[in-house]
Amino acid sequence: MTRYLARRLVLAIVVVLLVTVVTFILLHLLPGGPARGVLGVKATAEQIAAFNEANGFNKPLPLQYWDYLLRLLHGDLGSSYTMNEDVTTLLAERLPKTLLLTVTSTLLATVIALPLGSWQATRRGKAVDHAATGVSFVLYATPVFFLSLLLIIVFAQLLPVFPAQAAQGEDIGTLLSQPASLVLPIVAGTGVTLAVLGRYMRSSTVDNLAEDYVRSARARGTSERAILWRHVWPNSLTSVVAMLGYYVPVIFSGSLVVESMFNYPGIGLLFWTAARNADFPVLLGVVLVIAIATVTGALLADVAQLLIDPRVRMPARAAA
Amino acid sequence: MRTIPRGWVAALLAICLALTACAGTRRQHGGGSGQPIPGGTVSFALPPSAQPNWILPLALPGYTASYNGAIQSMLFVPLYAYDGTSGSVTMDPLASAALPPKYSADSRTVTITLRPLTWSNGQRLSTRDVEFWLNLVRANKSEWAAYTEGLMPDDIVGFHAVDDRTFTLTLDKTYNPDWFTANQLTLITPLPHSAWSRTGPGTPIGDADRTAAGAKQIFTYLASRAKNLGGYATDPLWKVVDGPFALSRFSSSGAVTVARNPRYSGPDRAHLDSVSFVTFTSASAEYNVLRSGGLDYGYVPTSNLGQRTVLEKQGYRISPWNGWSITYIPYNFNNPAMGKVFSQLYVRQAIQHAVNQPAITSVIWRGTAKPDYGPVPQDNDRKYLSDRQRTNPYPYDLNRSRQLLAAHGWKAGSDGILVCRSATSCGAGVAAGTRFAMTLLTESGSDETDNTMQELKSSFSKVGIEMTINGQPLNTVLGKGTSCKPADASCAWQLSYFGTQGSWYFPANPSGEQLFATNASVNFGSYSDKRTDDLINASNRSDSGTAMVDYSAHLAEQLPVIWMPNPPYQVSAIDSALHGVVQDPLAGLQPQRWFWTR
Repeated sequence: MTRYLARRLVLAIVVVLLVTVVTFILLHLLPGGPARGVLGVKATAEQIAAFNEANGFNKPLPLQYWDYLLRLLHGDLGSSYTMNEDVTTLLAERLPKTLLLTVTSTLLATVIALPLGSWQATRRGKAVDHAATGVSFVLYATPVFFLSLLLIIVFAQLLPVFPAQAAQGEDIGTLLSQPASLVLPIVAGTGVTLAVLGRYMRSSTVDNLAEDYVRSARARGTSERAILWRHVWPNSLTSVVAMLGYYVPVIFSGSLVVESMFNYPGIGLLFWTAARNADFPVLLGVVLVIAIATVTGALLADVAQLLIDPRVRMPARAAA
Repeated sequence: MRTIPRGWVAALLAICLALTACAGTRRQHGGGSGQPIPGGTVSFALPPSAQPNWILPLALPGYTASYNGAIQSMLFVPLYAYDGTSGSVTMDPLASAALPPKYSADSRTVTITLRPLTWSNGQRLSTRDVEFWLNLVRANKSEWAAYTEGLMPDDIVGFHAVDDRTFTLTLDKTYNPDWFTANQLTLITPLPHSAWSRTGPGTPIGDADRTAAGAKQIFTYLASRAKNLGGYATDPLWKVVDGPFALSRFSSSGAVTVARNPRYSGPDRAHLDSVSFVTFTSASAEYNVLRSGGLDYGYVPTSNLGQRTVLEKQGYRISPWNGWSITYIPYNFNNPAMGKVFSQLYVRQAIQHAVNQPAITSVIWRGTAKPDYGPVPQDNDRKYLSDRQRTNPYPYDLNRSRQLLAAHGWKAGSDGILVCRSATSCGAGVAAGTRFAMTLLTESGSDETDNTMQELKSSFSKVGIEMTINGQPLNTVLGKGTSCKPADASCAWQLSYFGTQGSWYFPANPSGEQLFATNASVNFGSYSDKRTDDLINASNRSDSGTAMVDYSAHLAEQLPVIWMPNPPYQVSAIDSALHGVVQDPLAGLQPQRWFWTR
């Protein structure tokens, strides 16, 4: 198991490095470079040359990447061209806010979706199942930006109950001090995840309810509730947990949309602003964070599967 | 299956109620008694993705955004401020740190007297504060964003303090006083020598700025402190202000609050307690907040102007904020394929005749943009505007466009695109067989710009000109569309548009030395014309009142670029109970004059 995990960890590092290579090349191959965009229309040729020299843009691309990698190994993600801050500081300020949004949304979605999916499975084909399925299909098919817009129109404009934007400021305390401003972003972030997890849990539970071990349990006289919670639920959960791990990039990209819609000061907003301002160090930093979150999510999903499902442990042992 | 326990339902309801109670209701806008009331706060929306990022009123390249300048001038009073709030771009005496300058008969010496202002550390504003600024700029001019070789500070060869409040500047040659005051003296902002003249943290205040080495150290120190955005609100350096406001909050995500400066001693005291600036990811995000009543002073994206009456019912007044600006598409005269074609005046005339400015302004921009026929801002002030430019020498006329091209040897090929049939008729350097096909590099991300480009493409195709649209992010357009030599690989661009928010915002005097003079820094298309250079020189040097007007007429006819409709700075939505707001074409803000009436 240890060797298996070590191998997965090495693979994860390789994936993150590859992501940085691809992102670095794509960003630096953009025609024109960031100098004019950052310095503005009125910058002189000398000022642009000075900017390029100060940021190493006059070096060959592989050398630029090598410099970047060396700095990365020392924990230096560079400085933002426009925000006068270390990228590390910017990420440290914004990441907790994004995590607050994504983790709360995901937890909320999980807490609702898993029991709901199982409950639907036990009522398969009945009116309530069709109704819940219909709702989840609608939610699933609704783009995050549209759901956000709908929430803003209904709950901020027509019924002015919640604010249309999150509290501003670098301090996470500012956000928490105005909990009402978190409601709509969290609900928007929850929507699609809830639909996906619910559908997945329902289908997984339906499959498991048709398995032989369920029939055997019923034959032994085990109660339906015990069958569901003791036998079916853990088995159904395995695939959902795995799916949740691999769902991390989707959650982050959804968060980017939610943050931009609700003016939520997280890393999505940071990414958006950096993209508009050609702020390469910030863009690379955010991509790195998302890449790390994605491979970590996948890794955690694998580990969770190993812990939950004995069947998965067998090949792992064999591999070890 | 069990039903959900009642306790859970009760808990859920309690959470909802608590959140609803926290949320409060929509902020009320409009109404009011009409009587001014003191105090209050205004929330002001900054442009999409705008992040104020520089406080030192001596900007480095990259930190020159208009909102930085607007916030700086609330804290540090510039030597001379101009605005267009009177309907004409003129000096704003209340917002200036000095009385109007007096020029000697030969215009080589300027005498300036400071107003009796006081810094918040109790020191009087003095001539030493102006000298401090000048010393810092002289020693660090290559790092200063506003530096142009030969101009400020090179054009000031002598500074003499007559007394604490009066000083004289000796100029290197004779300048047009109107231009010099408007475009050179406005660059000066007195800095608090008594608080900032340190070479490093903890070092004593002194006169190190009087040596070049010392001035460099001080500038490096101040710039390093200015790069610490997180410390703006608490750094004692930035607490020493002489403006009507002081900084109370500054976050690197763009949330900035200024509060009334209780120690302000000038004539332009603030009525409001504070102004909060909020930044947004996009115009639509801003609009969502505006529609929910979360802003006192915001803007309406053009695509949402159809909801104008809804906003008005909500208590906002809607008003375009026109800029002291022009919008244009530069030709690349050095492009190997099309440069020689663009060099022909008749070609530029034919192209300009095919630009349907009335349709673009009224349909695409919903009437918020203004037609633009030349190098001088056209819709605010007519002091510098020639009749020739104002009356549009090349109105939309496709027949005239076709005739011009046909008369010079261009005939449609089998695909309908014009081809030069005779090198002698088409003009110097245009080879027979040249197809009239050009590529326009344009900024992406705006429906108005996309539609404008499609309209241009359609009009051009009707006269036989093929135009390929290449949409790129604004930064890429600015990066690619720079001046070049024909042999450079970077000279592949032919036309470039970066005017969704106006291509160029002028200082108070809309002279063209940076835009259209030969080898000028922002002359991206490498336009060169002796008469233009002479007129620009005259507008900078001579006090003849006709130089700028002649320049306006000449370039309106010579078409160094394609003149395009000029979009407003923004279409503002302002709480109708907020008064004293005049939208300055120079994009400055005077929130000290705003006041609530409820």
